[in-house]
Amino acid sequence: MESQSIAFNTELLRRYDRPGPRYTSYPTAPQFHSGFGEKQLREVAASSNGDPIPRRLSLYVHVPFCESPCFYCGCNRIITRDKARGEAYLARLYREIALTADLFDRDREAIQLHFGGGTPNFLSPAQLGEVVETLRSHFRFSDARDRDVSIELDPRFVDADDIAALARIGFNRASFGVQDFDPAVQQAVNRIQSVEQTRAVVEACRANGFRSVNVDLIYGLPSQNGDGFARTLDIVADMRPDRVAVYGYAHMPHLFKPQKQLDDTLLPSGETKLALLQLAIEKLTAAGYLYIGMDHFALPDDELALAQARGGLHRNFMGYTTHADSDLVGLGVSAISHIGDSFSQNPRDLPSWQAALDEGRLPVFRGMRLDADDVLRADLIQQLMCQGEIPVAALERRHGIDFADYFATSLERLAPLVEDGLARIEPGRIVVTSRGRLLLRNIAMCFDRYLDQSAAIATPRFSRAI
Amino acid sequence: MSRAAFPRQDQRTLADDGNELRFCSTCAFSQACMDEGMDKASLGDLHVLVEHVGPFHAGEYIFREGDPFEAIAAVRAGTVKTSVVDRDGHEHVLGFHLPGEVIGLNAIDGDRYPCDAVALDTVMLCRFSFPKISVLATRLPGLQRQLFRLLSRDIGRAALLAGDWSADQRMAAFLLGVSRRLAARGFSPNRFQLTMPRTDIANYLRLAPETVSRVLRRFQEEGLLRVERRELELLDRDALDALAAPVLRD
Repeated sequence: MESQSIAFNTELLRRYDRPGPRYTSYPTAPQFHSGFGEKQLREVAASSNGDPIPRRLSLYVHVPFCESPCFYCGCNRIITRDKARGEAYLARLYREIALTADLFDRDREAIQLHFGGGTPNFLSPAQLGEVVETLRSHFRFSDARDRDVSIELDPRFVDADDIAALARIGFNRASFGVQDFDPAVQQAVNRIQSVEQTRAVVEACRANGFRSVNVDLIYGLPSQNGDGFARTLDIVADMRPDRVAVYGYAHMPHLFKPQKQLDDTLLPSGETKLALLQLAIEKLTAAGYLYIGMDHFALPDDELALAQARGGLHRNFMGYTTHADSDLVGLGVSAISHIGDSFSQNPRDLPSWQAALDEGRLPVFRGMRLDADDVLRADLIQQLMCQGEIPVAALERRHGIDFADYFATSLERLAPLVEDGLARIEPGRIVVTSRGRLLLRNIAMCFDRYLDQSAAIATPRFSRAI
Repeated sequence: MSRAAFPRQDQRTLADDGNELRFCSTCAFSQACMDEGMDKASLGDLHVLVEHVGPFHAGEYIFREGDPFEAIAAVRAGTVKTSVVDRDGHEHVLGFHLPGEVIGLNAIDGDRYPCDAVALDTVMLCRFSFPKISVLATRLPGLQRQLFRLLSRDIGRAALLAGDWSADQRMAAFLLGVSRRLAARGFSPNRFQLTMPRTDIANYLRLAPETVSRVLRRFQEEGLLRVERRELELLDRDALDALAAPVLRD
């Protein structure tokens, strides 16, 4: 990456603000199809066992329940206060764990375990401990020092004692949703959460030896303005989480029903949205955070920043990660797996997921096998998102192509972006400039074979770039 | 431009360049025949049919133990595994056959194939009737020499791993063996894909699958090679040569 600086150019950002994928995977989920089912998943898993050094495993567990609806949410979740639903869910989850673990050779270590949601702490620490124990009895957990056990937590429903209990179970990373501390915004999005609550759990993580704490913020929410967001940023910087994610709010009520409850007359203008983003970048970098890419910031001694510096940063459905070469095993409703050269996804609705497991089937409902072209483009986009450059010479060598010839169309699409100074073509590589760092998605889109550029604008399936 | 990494094909390694009149460039017998003044047309005149068969897909049997033996076949593309299953149902891998190599040679002694042959990836073959080619060999001393050469190479390879070698030595010898065989066919000697699954490599080398991974991981840490999924890159051939020398006797 060119330097840690980000050039903020309002005119440029406005011009490039159009819908595009976030590239937590390439190809993106709309390319998954129902022709990929249990049989195909078994085949790719068997084949992944056949690698001379089979990859280690990253486990993801999806907990779909939330006690209270946040109106901005675009995640797959179920609103309930009925804790019995958690128990019923776990019974099926254990079945899925047993079925899935059988796919993999016993010597394949699990190097990463992440709980996402929904709200994973809808489950009690005791229940979460039981899930971890069940996973431990079916998978071999790595003893490596960099083994991650992480969880997304809603600070409103967790306290310092819970954090201590989670630490005893082995959790060593936590991510807290904050979004904005401004009371007007909290009211508009139906998520009232105090600074004190949040500070208490962040400090409890530190006291209990958590290796890293992340805080999520969102810009572009209803009633949001510069003054309030500036205060939020100051408070967050003062809490000193190791990582901060600043997501742009994507208002797509036709895709995410909960968003219909938002008063869209309160949504900030594009102009204000850009100003909020600029504010976040300025405040966080001034507070000593490094810009990692996309929406992520980290302290210079955080493992993400260190990994990026040595070229070992990767990106998957869980966001940025230091665990490069692992196969990702998604468990629970709607979870996505990335095994070998394949993607696969569990049913997004609870009844279908349950029905499959009750019949003793692996609950995969769609997916895809990547062909050589997909693998090449995925490699390119991964490098772009993580290292801020396209290593042309290395890609030619790894994939046996002539870059200029193979990517002629993509390079044509890229040309105006190069002209606008977002990227620079050098011998053997294409480098993202400080002007282009906020527009990584737009650069990646030039290399996306599946993106019909005009259609993407007409009926947005992806959120806007900014 | 560097040479193609197996199993990726380019103009120099493509085995599909033959036709009615010309041999494929990878044909195991073309040189011997041409040295004898026999081109493909004259083989046809002698009713020695050479037929291209395939593709066979990963996991498909090319022949099974006990099938009547009629033909030997040269691999044009892909990798073929030969193996036998013992009375207890355990598989024993006999070998891996890469482009340009011939399968079925160990059937010559009987009238049935003594092993299974399975495609490990997409396999194309060139099959020719053994009775006919052996009759032809009695007339063409060069062709006979080539047949003997192939047979002796087949026996020699099987004996390589019978010695009391360490896991490191077996692995180094295996990798260098594959590298040399691919290089002889025009592929890159230092970058190639291991098309056979870990369990088959382990079985062939008489090692546990975890040991295969452990040895490769250590080789990787020591900078001898690099592994990325099935892709392998040999980085320090001298060190690998030194390890493999007692096994390969060179």
